[in-house]
Amino acid sequence: MNALTASAAIASGRVRLANVRQRSLVEAKVRVLVVAALFAFVGLAALIRIAQLGFFEDAPERRSLTEALLPPRGEITDRNGFPLARAFPAYALWYNPKALGEKGSSLVKSPEEVAKALLQIFPDADYNDLVRRLKSDKPSYLRRRVMPEEANRLYALGEPALEFPRENQRYYPQGSLGAHVLGYVDGEGGGHVGMEQVLEKRLLDPAQRGTPIALSIDMRVQGALEDELGRGMMETEAKGAAGVILDVDTGEVVALASLPSFNPNRSDMAYNDLVFNKVTNQVYELGSTFKPFTVAAAIDDGVITDLSVRYPSNRPLAIGGFQIRDSHNFGASLNVPEALIHSSNIVTAQVADKLGGPALKRTMAALGMNERPYIELPARGFPLWPRGTDKNGDWARITTMTVSYGHGIAVTPLHLAAGYSALVNGGIWRPATLYKVDPAHVAAGRRVFKASTSARMRQLLRMIVVDGTGRSANAQGFRVGGKTGSAEKPGGKGGYNRTSLIATFAAAFPMDKPRYVVVAMLDEPKGTAATSFQRTAAWNTGPIVGRLIPRIGPLLGVVPDDSRDIDISDLSPLVGNGKGE
Amino acid sequence: MITSANRLRSVGWFVLLGLCFTLVLVLAFRVNALRSRVHHAEEKIVALKQEKLYLETEFETRANQQQLKAWNDVEFGYAAPGASQYLEGERQLASLSMPSTPDAPAPIRVASMDDSVIASAAFPAMVSPLSGKALASGDRKAGASDDDADDGPRAPRMGHAEAVETLNDRLGKVVEVSSGKPVRAETTSDKPRPVKAVKASAKKDADTSQKTAASQKTTAKTKPVEVANKSSAKKDTKPKAGTRKEAKATT
Repeated sequence: MNALTASAAIASGRVRLANVRQRSLVEAKVRVLVVAALFAFVGLAALIRIAQLGFFEDAPERRSLTEALLPPRGEITDRNGFPLARAFPAYALWYNPKALGEKGSSLVKSPEEVAKALLQIFPDADYNDLVRRLKSDKPSYLRRRVMPEEANRLYALGEPALEFPRENQRYYPQGSLGAHVLGYVDGEGGGHVGMEQVLEKRLLDPAQRGTPIALSIDMRVQGALEDELGRGMMETEAKGAAGVILDVDTGEVVALASLPSFNPNRSDMAYNDLVFNKVTNQVYELGSTFKPFTVAAAIDDGVITDLSVRYPSNRPLAIGGFQIRDSHNFGASLNVPEALIHSSNIVTAQVADKLGGPALKRTMAALGMNERPYIELPARGFPLWPRGTDKNGDWARITTMTVSYGHGIAVTPLHLAAGYSALVNGGIWRPATLYKVDPAHVAAGRRVFKASTSARMRQLLRMIVVDGTGRSANAQGFRVGGKTGSAEKPGGKGGYNRTSLIATFAAAFPMDKPRYVVVAMLDEPKGTAATSFQRTAAWNTGPIVGRLIPRIGPLLGVVPDDSRDIDISDLSPLVGNGKGE
Repeated sequence: MITSANRLRSVGWFVLLGLCFTLVLVLAFRVNALRSRVHHAEEKIVALKQEKLYLETEFETRANQQQLKAWNDVEFGYAAPGASQYLEGERQLASLSMPSTPDAPAPIRVASMDDSVIASAAFPAMVSPLSGKALASGDRKAGASDDDADDGPRAPRMGHAEAVETLNDRLGKVVEVSSGKPVRAETTSDKPRPVKAVKASAKKDADTSQKTAASQKTTAKTKPVEVANKSSAKKDTKPKAGTRKEAKATT
């Protein structure tokens, strides 16, 4: 029975078992399927995520390398690639009152103590202002630019509320050097004054700002020019000084300085009267430095064919109630080389009279003296160009005569430098530029003087430095040629102020093959012990040029050589050795 | 059987699919890992470049023109070079050299691999204008012998090969006047006359062939003797500083 029931039970149980097995198998399969589907889903999700990360997420990151290295504002370099202005993540000093939590004092020490400590790091800071800011609850900049060294000292103070975040700012490693050329960038990132303003678009353009812009300036030459001008200015207690160095063959401005200068790194203090550019914006009557232009125009026009012809020079020239006089009496008569060497107004005026107003006017206009100077800078002064009196617009006789020695016409020192370039480089006038010029793409310029006239002028300019008023600029071995000019400033009795002068020296070197023109100018120099109590250019700007050229010559590839010089032997017999202005 | 085979196949496909999937996954992971490493490297590059820019700017600032000028004024005092500090070229450089004297230090000789190439460039073989062949040294000697006859004794001309071989020696050689001892004694003594004689004889002929050297030997040998004889006729032919001084004192 037991066995029977058991067997029956087994039999029926087997059927049931088979059923159960079938069902559990199906169930297991379903479960496996569900689990597999789950796994597949998870796997798929992971895969999709990975694919998403792998293929799409990376795309913006790939650009980041170039983007991270792209400066927010392009770099400006000098002609040799030294940075003059660059975007630079400099430190700022930020006061965060919430650094130690919402409540209680934000500083570890008292605000007065902290302010004192800050004053030791930044001696030019205002103590009261610092205390006021440190006591207030508002976060603020204590200083916009902090040097790394100063940042280290700030860190040593141990005040968590003093933060120094790195911010991208415009930085000028050379400080005030070339400030008028570069300009500055204000707090909002806008360029002002110099090339920062001119190149604004180019400097901010994402496609172009990665490559630095090379200017024609040579930083070392600029440094030497500013240094020598500054020294001259101090020695003569002058109000200001200006200087420019031009490449005579390309018109590139190698250095341009207007003193006193400003510091573009302190953009908050940069905008003041000193941003006024004396080289390109201020017009002056530059006096005797114009005489070579007159003589060159006369030689070019065939008015002077014989340099030995003598002109009376012992009495003032009276023209229409106006008297043209010299600084002192140079004797009964002078020839043209002597007139240049001694800087005689009387003889130059006679030469100009012979030449005639239209011819002189034509030459001056060809030298660009009747329009704003050609340069990229935004600040360009308009010359005081004498107005013509007759119906053709020609100058009156007296105007022609005064213009011949640099009065009655006011131009910028840059005009003068460009004019001297044309005088010595073979007679081609070229616009000045602040961009580095590829020698293959030099501006064509326009011919003002014949090459033969230019050669003659080189001799005459060299003679002025060898024998005449420019002796103080005769740097040994550099074959300097040039002309002094000491013009009285307008104002005072008789239209001119006898005691306040504009002393200018326009020079070129080396005269046997001129490469560079140097113009140095002092505004109202005084007679001091350093200048033997003289105020004229021979005593103040001449020595500046004489000291400057030996410093810049080797930097510019002009090697001093005692065995070379321009041949002036055909003219030297015409000149007696008298003393000039 | 067929179903199990089918099953096996489909399972196999699944396994293969799974394997591929895993491999793709592994690959994707590796690619991603590499990408992130590249990204990190790029970040590091950016950071380093910025650091470089930062340091460079700081350097430029600390060494700006005004600062350099101030340092030069206080510390160094350098002045711009003058005309005498420049040379125009090799010719001007060579003009500064002095003719070699017996006491001169040995000339500096520059090491080089093989002089023969330079030497053959310096002494190209003489080519006959008719045949276009290089002339043998013997021919040249024979041709030149007539000219030499009336010039007095001269060194036999060297052949091309010989010239090449000895160039090295001749270039760096000081004409050693080999009556060395008396001459050197003279140079240290206060009477320079015999040395002058030697100098003159040394200068006489730049062509440093052996025979001239030999003739210099003789002049150098005889001249000091003459001088010595003049100053003190009694003394023997070897002049010494001490004896000459004595002689001077006696006369």
